Amino acid sequence: MQAHEKYNKILLVDDDIDLLEQNKIMLESKGFIVITAESGKEGFETFEKELPDAAIVDLIMEQHDSGFILCHKIKKTKHGKTMPLFMLTSATYDTGFKFSASTEEEKEWIKCDGILHKPVVVEDVIAKLENYD
Amino acid sequence: MAEIRTKVLIVDDEKGLRLGTQRLLQSEGYLVSIAENGTEGIRLGTEEEFDLAVIDLKMPDYDGLEVLNKIRQIHPNTVCFIATAFASYDTAIEATRLGAFSYIPKPFTPEEFLYQIEQGVKHRKVILESARLLKEREENLLELAQEKSKLNIIIKSIEDGVLIINNSGQIVYFNNSVLKNLDMDELAIGDDASEVLPAKISEIISKYFVSFETVNKSFSTQIEIKSDNELFIEVNCSPVPQTDGSFSGVVVIIRNITETKKIELIKNQFVSMVAHELKTPVAAVQGFLTIILDKNISTSRDQEIDFLSRSSVRLKGLLDLVNDLLDISRIEMKTKQRELVNLNIPETINSTLVFLQLEIEKKKLIVNCEFEDNLPVFKADLNELTRVFTNILSNAIKYNTDGGYIKIKTSMTGNYLCTSISDSGIGMTEKDVNNLFQEFFRAKNEFTRGISGTGLGLTIVKRIVESYHGKVEVESEYKKGTIFTIKLPITLK
Repeated sequence: MQAHEKYNKILLVDDDIDLLEQNKIMLESKGFIVITAESGKEGFETFEKELPDAAIVDLIMEQHDSGFILCHKIKKTKHGKTMPLFMLTSATYDTGFKFSASTEEEKEWIKCDGILHKPVVVEDVIAKLENYD
Repeated sequence: MAEIRTKVLIVDDEKGLRLGTQRLLQSEGYLVSIAENGTEGIRLGTEEEFDLAVIDLKMPDYDGLEVLNKIRQIHPNTVCFIATAFASYDTAIEATRLGAFSYIPKPFTPEEFLYQIEQGVKHRKVILESARLLKEREENLLELAQEKSKLNIIIKSIEDGVLIINNSGQIVYFNNSVLKNLDMDELAIGDDASEVLPAKISEIISKYFVSFETVNKSFSTQIEIKSDNELFIEVNCSPVPQTDGSFSGVVVIIRNITETKKIELIKNQFVSMVAHELKTPVAAVQGFLTIILDKNISTSRDQEIDFLSRSSVRLKGLLDLVNDLLDISRIEMKTKQRELVNLNIPETINSTLVFLQLEIEKKKLIVNCEFEDNLPVFKADLNELTRVFTNILSNAIKYNTDGGYIKIKTSMTGNYLCTSISDSGIGMTEKDVNNLFQEFFRAKNEFTRGISGTGLGLTIVKRIVESYHGKVEVESEYKKGTIFTIKLPITLK
């Protein structure tokens, strides 16, 4: 089964509406159904309502840690626990604020299943989803 | 140099002898003074220093030995002779004990007398020479002691740590700054440097003991003594040569560079933030263009126009950002030539308002100005002050509610020319106010979405105002409004 069939409905959360729309269009062109939210608060409400198959969350939104907080909240829910959840950021190399989610321990800390770097490359998203078990 | 003539004092109550010896000595080139009794002898002999004195032993008023004693108390280097016809072994001993150089028995021949005088002159020279040497030696010692203590005080009081290690690797000297800059509680003369000093310093020092090659080289390194940028040092090690050029030890200079490192860190953080802020709009524009150009993604003509105009907005924002950054760098580097003129603040504000008229009308804002009469002028660069008021007023417009108000008030308060600009806008939370002047900070909440800005406007305001020794103050209430106060110092006459 291809990624867009297994994880059809994807939630995108980003406060930059231009990037949000671009990523939506790109993912839709690969067959995903994309729902969007523009803040951490709205992101969690949409998550609870839509129960998506996967989610991509921007790190810096209304606050510097809005993405972290949203990930923690999502992973606390029953649905979120098993749903692939990726953090979107450019913080790693631009701001010298380095973090990763490669080991189990790091994933447990950050409460996400991987990190995607800006700008989003759709192929990376698909590869990450296909590797998710 | 003209020869200094030897000065001789003759003290004798016998006139013939007095004048005879005077003539004899004068003919030999001596400067002679005479005294006809003891009282006169004491007066002359103490008032000025004679090289030699010939004193008669028996005089009506004074004993010659007493005269000798009085003279030598004042001038111990005057060479004295006792002359007498009543020569006795006892008086000779007493005279010598009191410091007479010699004893001249009367009567004497001119040759005998001159011979004695010449001996006295030689003795006088020896005395003066030894006195000179003694004085010189004392002065040298004093100077050396002063130099040594001066150098010691200098080394002790400098901020840089100075530590000296001998060629056996032992610490032989250190000042107090060494302890401070290494954050150490104790260190002792004789300690093995490699055991007590931080590893990185020991490593460098060990180079001097391993290879002969390094003996003429200096080495330096930077070490983080306390983490989190609390204490950072720079260490410079130089060899100390002996007078013959061989290696006698190492002098280590330890400098605290924490502040420099902090500035470096701030600079790096700022560069990272700038990079991040520049990258975001570029990425947004690139994203739109990729979608438009991608053949696999179908977009309508309307969609394409929408994407292009949104790209244009992002590029405009990018340009504003670059301009703000250039302004900041100009303010910081002070390369900008300021044209200081006497500015009338109300006039400057009014012309800024004209420039912003379109935006004010768009939001249907009511602007109310209240300027105190007879305000003093403020000497400043017009462009800079216009920039200050433009940035604050455009915030008051952007973050205002439709149909709201802006109140501008300028007055003298104490030594400050104060302008307060209050708005009926969305206001800020206490947390936002605290971060307000931080570069790139922009309050984010449900009301601020869609309002563009570089995040540098207030940074620029603050830097300009502070460059004129002024102050920027802010009061705000969330959902109610904000008051910015610009205080510019005026020298009161």
